[in-house]
Amino acid sequence: MIKLYDYELSANCYKQRLMMSLLDVPYESVPVDFFPGLQHKTDEFKKINPLGHIPVIDDDGYVLWDAHAILVYLAAKYDPTGQWYPTSDPALLGETASWLLFAEGTTNTASAARLYVNLSYDFDIDACRAGAHRLFRVLDEHLWFRERDGRDWVCSAAHPTIADIAIFPDVVLSEEGGVSRLDYPSLRRWTDRVKALPGFSIMPGVFPMGTS
Amino acid sequence: MTNPVTLPDPVTLPDPMTLWHPVATMLDLPHRHIFHGQLLGREVAIWRADDEFINVWENRCLHRGVRLSIGTNDGTELTCRYHGWRYSNRSAGCTYIPAHPADAPARTICNRTFAAVEQYGLVWSGEDPIGEPPTVASLDDGTPFTLRNLPVNAPSQIVLDQLRQHRFQPVASLDTDDAEMTATEINDYALSLTSTGTNTAESSTVVFFVQPVDSDRSVIRAVLTEAPAEVAQLAVLRHHAAALGKLVIAAEAAAAQMPLPEPMQATINQVSLALSVMPEPMLDRQAPLRVQVARKWTTARDIAGFELVSVGDPLPTFQPGAHIDVHLPNGLVRQYSLTNGPGDTSRYRIGVKLEANSTGGSQCLHDTVREGDVLAISEPRNNFPLRRDSLRTVLIAGGIGVTPMLAMAQALKPMGLAFELHYFAQADEHLAFEEIRAGLGDAVITHVGLSPDETGAELARLLDGYGHANQVYICGPGPMLEAARTIATAADWPDQAVHFEYFKNTTEIDDSSSFEIALARSAVNLQVPAGKSILEVLRDHGIAMPSSCEQGACGTCVVPVMEGEIEHQDVHLKQSERDAGDKIMTCVSRAVSDRLVLDI
Repeated sequence: MIKLYDYELSANCYKQRLMMSLLDVPYESVPVDFFPGLQHKTDEFKKINPLGHIPVIDDDGYVLWDAHAILVYLAAKYDPTGQWYPTSDPALLGETASWLLFAEGTTNTASAARLYVNLSYDFDIDACRAGAHRLFRVLDEHLWFRERDGRDWVCSAAHPTIADIAIFPDVVLSEEGGVSRLDYPSLRRWTDRVKALPGFSIMPGVFPMGTS
Repeated sequence: MTNPVTLPDPVTLPDPMTLWHPVATMLDLPHRHIFHGQLLGREVAIWRADDEFINVWENRCLHRGVRLSIGTNDGTELTCRYHGWRYSNRSAGCTYIPAHPADAPARTICNRTFAAVEQYGLVWSGEDPIGEPPTVASLDDGTPFTLRNLPVNAPSQIVLDQLRQHRFQPVASLDTDDAEMTATEINDYALSLTSTGTNTAESSTVVFFVQPVDSDRSVIRAVLTEAPAEVAQLAVLRHHAAALGKLVIAAEAAAAQMPLPEPMQATINQVSLALSVMPEPMLDRQAPLRVQVARKWTTARDIAGFELVSVGDPLPTFQPGAHIDVHLPNGLVRQYSLTNGPGDTSRYRIGVKLEANSTGGSQCLHDTVREGDVLAISEPRNNFPLRRDSLRTVLIAGGIGVTPMLAMAQALKPMGLAFELHYFAQADEHLAFEEIRAGLGDAVITHVGLSPDETGAELARLLDGYGHANQVYICGPGPMLEAARTIATAADWPDQAVHFEYFKNTTEIDDSSSFEIALARSAVNLQVPAGKSILEVLRDHGIAMPSSCEQGACGTCVVPVMEGEIEHQDVHLKQSERDAGDKIMTCVSRAVSDRLVLDI
């Protein structure tokens, strides 16, 4: 079974838990005392990931770190439909990769602001928040035009991709970092749609949809 | 080109609080979504119910102030994410508090609502808006087409200044940059721009409404007066989004040069007056609401349905199980349960069975009251509250007793809670409210034409096997109710899980005793003589007492008892409540002892 080196409050670890829940892949969560223990910075943990960060997966001896890389691996290996990481469609694959890099941006801004507020990280909070708003503004317009085009997701396909899963946690938890989504109604509608996916799972601060 | 406009009231225009402003577009309100908006510094939660009603509410739960925009919209009620308080569509009244599952929330717990009008594809609202939203002739005459709205970190007047210099191309020549622009002012928050091509005579007009979100933030809501051909729409939308995107950057740069204005302070209503003061004394049965019979129809043999619409303020919130007092033209007062589903306060619906030996109540409603008549009714009162935390709810209705059960079933269904509604009737033609039952699907099971023995056997089957968190609610004729209660007890249903409501109290009331009542809080002792009820004696001495049926069935006139032995003559209290001896129905029950000490 896949082992996930995991911290419950981490947005990047949630990306993996959500992906495996959507793909219905069983996994074992190995809790890492990220805060306040800083277990990921210990010599012991650096034997697993020399970079000293989580998430990390261990799939039957195959060890992989970096949140977005793990999404690529999980979808490529465990999604029989080939939709989540669309390797057979070069144009769509390119789009997916492009939005995965966008997700690096939301991680380093919106989710960084959250670490500043919740776990007292020493970041330039104004720069984090301004950067998050800059990206959210772009994504909101992008998703608004997607809706006009009859599309629900970040990439142009009729189905979601790992790009949606890579961006979703940074967006949906942004208010914890003091980044309001009041100005981004398309973004809010898109988070509703992600929550309606079969197999969706939650974490502290991420609420399920109501019954409908 | 001119844009004749009608404005609500030129004299009061400068105060933005009295104006209508756009707060959302219709595209922002998809099925079961809750839109998070802001106007003049106040956050609002905007949601469209399944009946298409658009709710604009203060974005905070009355309980702990959590934003309602992170709650859930189940199509009829909005539920707060924090402790699950539920608020009704339209009225915003609280209908259920999970921490008090067996109680009916006070009707006065009501969130703040704001006006909402749909016009030109936009939702309009305001703090205290006068008249109607502004009308723009070019939009009235055209085919309004909503462009993408843009949030701007700049005060509305800076945005309007920028809009006066704004440029875009007419639909026919999007690729050039040579159009002539003409601006027409509409009001302090709106202007219209017409772009005319130099080579072609083609022109396009866009009306820009600037929503003042806060002192330093705005949203530009733009509407093209003529919808482009479908194939061209995306290009037009992108053209305007790009042009406005540049404007946003310029407006934000201009705003950054200015000192930061003070944020607007929306006044959050404190607890409403009704909740913060003692209620007005109510010396008699009151009927503050006036309703008109909008529709009267025969819903089953001898059963008339009535739809009652308000002739004044919107109708108040009700909860499943609630009833109203109807004051009849002949002076009689009768109680009828509301059959409405949750969130539907556009009208109250009741069902009235013509009683064979009517003493004038049902006969009057059947024979005298017609569509268009105005009746006085009380506010809804709930002495038959529904728990909404049960694993299984069994609703048992006999005849016209189906009315509160229909309201309960319609509340349970959208929450996905397991329930079944067993509807006993003499014959098929006695089955009422088919249109409501149809919406409940397989959960409604009808039992038609059973003898009393067969009914008893069926009830025994239905109530066989009590499980944890099961509840049964029973409403029907006295003998059936007695049978159901006996069977439930025999099948080990605890008293607290068996809820019932009688139509009337058929007990022969013995009022021959005389005794003293001591009102502990008021420090008053009164004598109750033979022939008078406690309720009457209290009222005779100016003590405010609510009441409704005044025959020991509805439970409205209950009073806590501190000392003394009670002679219960009502049919409202459960056996466990009677045994506890700590409350009394003052309209019929009396004292066995010489003295009762009441906690009033």
